[in-house]
Amino acid sequence: MKKHIFTILILIITLAVIAGCGSKQIPVIGISQFGEHPSLDNCREGFLQGLAEAGLKEDKDFSTDYQNAGFDPAIASQIAQNFSSANVTLMCAIATPSATACFAAAEDKDIPVVFTAITDPVRAKLDSGNITGTSDKLAVDEQLELIRKLQPDAKTIGILYTTSEPNSVSAIEEYNEKAANYGFTIEAIGVVQQSEVTLAVDTLISKKVDCLSNLTDNNVVGVLASVLEKTNEAKIPVYGSEVEQMKIGCVAGAGIDYIKLGKQTGAIAAKILKGEAKASEIPYEVISEYSIYINSAALAKMGISVPLEVSQKAIEATNS
Amino acid sequence: MGVFLDLVVSTVTQGLIYALLSYGVFITYKILDFPDLTVDGSFPLGAAVTAVLLTKGFNPYLTLAVALLVGALTGLITGLIHVKLGVRDLLAGIITMTALFSINLQIAGSNLIIERTVNTIFSAEPAMALFGNLSLIYRKLIVSLFLTILFKIILDLYFKTKSGLLLRAVGDNNTLVTSLAKDKGKVKIIGLVISNALVALSGCIVCHEQRAFSSTMGTGQVVFGLATVIIGTTLFKKLNFVKGTTAVMIGSILYKVSIQIAISLGLPANLLKFITAALFLAILVLGKLQKGGVKKNA
Repeated sequence: MKKHIFTILILIITLAVIAGCGSKQIPVIGISQFGEHPSLDNCREGFLQGLAEAGLKEDKDFSTDYQNAGFDPAIASQIAQNFSSANVTLMCAIATPSATACFAAAEDKDIPVVFTAITDPVRAKLDSGNITGTSDKLAVDEQLELIRKLQPDAKTIGILYTTSEPNSVSAIEEYNEKAANYGFTIEAIGVVQQSEVTLAVDTLISKKVDCLSNLTDNNVVGVLASVLEKTNEAKIPVYGSEVEQMKIGCVAGAGIDYIKLGKQTGAIAAKILKGEAKASEIPYEVISEYSIYINSAALAKMGISVPLEVSQKAIEATNS
Repeated sequence: MGVFLDLVVSTVTQGLIYALLSYGVFITYKILDFPDLTVDGSFPLGAAVTAVLLTKGFNPYLTLAVALLVGALTGLITGLIHVKLGVRDLLAGIITMTALFSINLQIAGSNLIIERTVNTIFSAEPAMALFGNLSLIYRKLIVSLFLTILFKIILDLYFKTKSGLLLRAVGDNNTLVTSLAKDKGKVKIIGLVISNALVALSGCIVCHEQRAFSSTMGTGQVVFGLATVIIGTTLFKKLNFVKGTTAVMIGSILYKVSIQIAISLGLPANLLKFITAALFLAILVLGKLQKGGVKKNA
């Protein structure tokens, strides 16, 4: 009997050895992405483009090990440990939970971590140590200005957010601070889990908000399609925070191009790989370029006409 | 080989830390026959309390005791709801678990991260004085191993006491306990208290290990616990000398190893859970085969 148990154990260990071994000649970048959604996928794509632009070729100058945690923090932590054990040269962490997990796992070996798609690295305590990256700080001013131009009579903006996401909490603070400058009041509703988002939308609609504005809240963005179903029926326009949201049906938004953000991140990683600088010496970068995206079809449905000054600068968000 | 050894060490460490949770589920599910869902709430509670205390500069080892205490309290609440208010076992756990989700967020504020400058149980004295020359992953292994074995011994000793024997009797034979003129409700509450204290302790150590608390870290922990208990007890069913606690500890390690293999094989992310499920099934089937083999020999 005992033999059988050991057979199983040996089988498992052998499998792990086969999996764990491999040629480790060139630097390995462990990419840990918290889950699959378009913005995060764009970050990863941009990251690889950024490395390529810096003259590093995949499979020649570096290889990648891409892992995805499927939005499970426990898996994110195992992925990070896997990278640490495999002695990867650098970890690229996409979204906050993956970054925290990587940073914790890299502690012992001091493997550099480059993060992206984190709104507030200071609040997430990822601003010191052998870590750097890019922050996707929301363009709150630009967004408020845009809403004012498109809806000159609007008074209240509804926002949905997850109370446990540090990124969202700091974004709400910023909205509350700045809304008055543009003559708005903010009606924010916090949820604790994704299943509550659609309920919260109903509440916002019943409070007769003039429009909704999105953060980059993972729970909210994840069910954006069903949010839009409800708001379209109630004729309430929803403003997005990223180009992918406009593609789904948000009317407009001042947003980040995550591909660009990823590229910026890739450039930082390239510097570290080439030995030009250490992660601890590079301060994290906040993306400074925002674009105005519009979805003309969605705007027309809401009966919003776009003033010339907006349409001149705006980029049409279409699925191409 | 060094790479592989590191991977084994960190995976086994994970298994050991989560084994404390498995002990808890073992007590409620296997011994008391009580499907306790409080676990999904008491596990992150241990982490939430730990995260707050650590950021406030508390002695890291003190957080272990505090976690045990708050965990025990949640077990007490579920127990009282079930026994005194007559709410069904499953529902009693659901009520406490749901309330704990809010309580955890109230305690921690939001998801919390513990800075590297803050010492954890793996980097404070006396762990440093004793094993300071070892690298962090080995310190993590030693400390986790120590705690997991310590609580295993305490539990094994407890099961031999009068109270421990009564606990086992409630799950096996309800009427016997009543005929002994003992209050089975009280025994159930004791079981829930011990179970959730261990679960919260596991959450506490996970928080030390990952330097983070997240409100969703409890989701699915009951399922994890049940899986490890079933894997462990199935594998060692016929080996009487292997104690239940040892069996579930190994179950927990095997579970984490399964996931690590799935990750290491570089399988597509979306298939990860499926592969994990397949590995469980393989372990369980092997366990069954092993039993069959025994019968043939006997």
